[in-house]
Amino acid sequence: MSSLSSDKLETMFYRMALARSIERLIQKHTREHKFSGWWHPGEGQEAAPIGATAALEDDDYLWYQGRGSAWALGKGMKPGPILGDLLGKMNGATRGKGGGVPHWADYSIGVMGEGATLGSVYPLAGGSALASKIRKDGRVSLANFGDGTTARGTFHETMMHAAAWKLPLIYFCENNGLLVGTRLSDVSPTTNIADFAAGYHIPGVTVDGQDTVAVYEATREAVARARAGEGPTLIEAKVVRRRGHYSGDPQNYRSESEFDDYRDPLDVHALLLGGNTAARLLEEAEADVKAAYDEAMAAPSPDASVIERDLYHVA
Amino acid sequence: MSHEMMGYNAAMGLALVEEMRRDDSIFILGQGVATGGWFGAEKGLASEFGTDRVIDCGISEAFEAGLAAGASIAGMKPVVNMGFGDFALIAGDEIYHKLAKWRYMHGLDVPMHAVIIFPIGTMGGAGPEHSSCTEVLGMHFPGLKVVVPSNAEDAKGLMKAALREPNPVLFHSVQGLGWSRGDVPLDPEFIVPIGKAAIKRPGTSLSIITYGSMVPRSLEAAEALAGEGIDAEVIDLRSLVPLDWDCVLSSVSRTHRAMVVHEAAKTAGPGAEIAAQIQERIFFDLEAPVMRLGARDFPLAQHADLEALAIPSVDAIAAMARELAAI
Repeated sequence: MSSLSSDKLETMFYRMALARSIERLIQKHTREHKFSGWWHPGEGQEAAPIGATAALEDDDYLWYQGRGSAWALGKGMKPGPILGDLLGKMNGATRGKGGGVPHWADYSIGVMGEGATLGSVYPLAGGSALASKIRKDGRVSLANFGDGTTARGTFHETMMHAAAWKLPLIYFCENNGLLVGTRLSDVSPTTNIADFAAGYHIPGVTVDGQDTVAVYEATREAVARARAGEGPTLIEAKVVRRRGHYSGDPQNYRSESEFDDYRDPLDVHALLLGGNTAARLLEEAEADVKAAYDEAMAAPSPDASVIERDLYHVA
Repeated sequence: MSHEMMGYNAAMGLALVEEMRRDDSIFILGQGVATGGWFGAEKGLASEFGTDRVIDCGISEAFEAGLAAGASIAGMKPVVNMGFGDFALIAGDEIYHKLAKWRYMHGLDVPMHAVIIFPIGTMGGAGPEHSSCTEVLGMHFPGLKVVVPSNAEDAKGLMKAALREPNPVLFHSVQGLGWSRGDVPLDPEFIVPIGKAAIKRPGTSLSIITYGSMVPRSLEAAEALAGEGIDAEVIDLRSLVPLDWDCVLSSVSRTHRAMVVHEAAKTAGPGAEIAAQIQERIFFDLEAPVMRLGARDFPLAQHADLEALAIPSVDAIAAMARELAAI
């Protein structure tokens, strides 16, 4: 059985529900052309981010990829800065610069941000892990990525060094088998990303990505290894990309039968909660997202001065 | 405070040693840095600071630059020696997107320390992929600072400024000046501020705006011209971002004639920007078009003689100055 308390299970469900609620809101806005449309939906994929982040501490470093909001929410970001950013308002995480490809960061809770060039966080996560090793600060760095970006050279370059140097680094892959519209199997010698771990002489673990507890347990073990100085772990969560690559993607390359075995991660997790807890938490999350949405809509849009902000830091 | 005669690369190394003693968060990585570095700037660092802070990497420039970006975002002060300016292209995403844009695109007003060392320019037959001057790339992606020291004293002073700078700095060391020695201040607080040009030779006839390897050549040309009644002012820009426009524009307003000289390829090189801005900003102070002298637009040959023919010589600089003075 898992080591998760009922409080923690509830927090995890609440954060999944926040993510789901934000997803639905953004998709609705996109359909109504109120939103730029650069959103990469993560609906249905919430268990992996929530399970993984539940195993991290506040000061551990998270480098996420852009599909969905659950990574940032799992690490403790509130819906306010996320929605403010997506709607391009001054109260957003990027202080008015955002609007679709998320660049949420909050260094105080270890949300380090995302690069929009897919797969670009590998060496960055290596960098924060190296910083932790030099400072001996006990922090762990987690790099989240999709299966498609294992084609990037930096996937290999970073893990090769991290394994040699025993960096406190976790590679966390959400493997949905698709890179935009291409099948992973058409471009990769293996569809099991965890197989790559053997080449680096590190543990490679495959987990059910629709199951928060399975993901949590795998990540907890990787975190323990990293903190003990035993080096990196590659975790692969098998997930289902419920929607298109981007919110308007017609997905001509897919068939309905792909979803025959689909299990909604919120339903899977709800079974762990007693009574009407899941329904209550869903309601709470929806109300909190609605409040954050109203606040973002009332917040000012960026003025021209935002263009000049944050380019150079003056000591 | 005393001075010591030393080489250009040794002066960079002295700055590194002094700043690493002063600041625990500085560490250096690259290929072979723990064993002295390709050009000797990192000689002795590993024995003093250990291999936790002087780190050898594999042949993986994108990783090295990305590692620097990540460590910088996490609050450390990484220094990477990339071996050659040409290798900037291997690490393009990491340098020109991540280092340059991370803070801006996340809307954060936080320090980001990182120094990327790019040895640039010809050194006598290093070939087309080891001799490029890539500094213009740093000018084109806002968020970076770009320096190019032309002598040993500035190599130390600018490196110290770069190591204390809360923004990513692309530090272009000049391969062709590796042999040059200079009188370098030993004062550990000696700093050459980023963004401040130096008038290396005052003059009244025309302004030669230059940097890096072309500073000594321009000075030599100016001395030759002095005997012909042409009194050239030579400005060493030292920093391309930020660029000391006050110095450049006030000089040209006084001399009314300007030429830009650099080793980088002429087409769309730094001189294109400098010439354009001079003409936009002080057109009515000019008595002649702003001229440019850069490398010919070919990949550099491995043959040292062909290489030398492709980049501006002292004679070519003097010839252009004569032409400019005669207009």
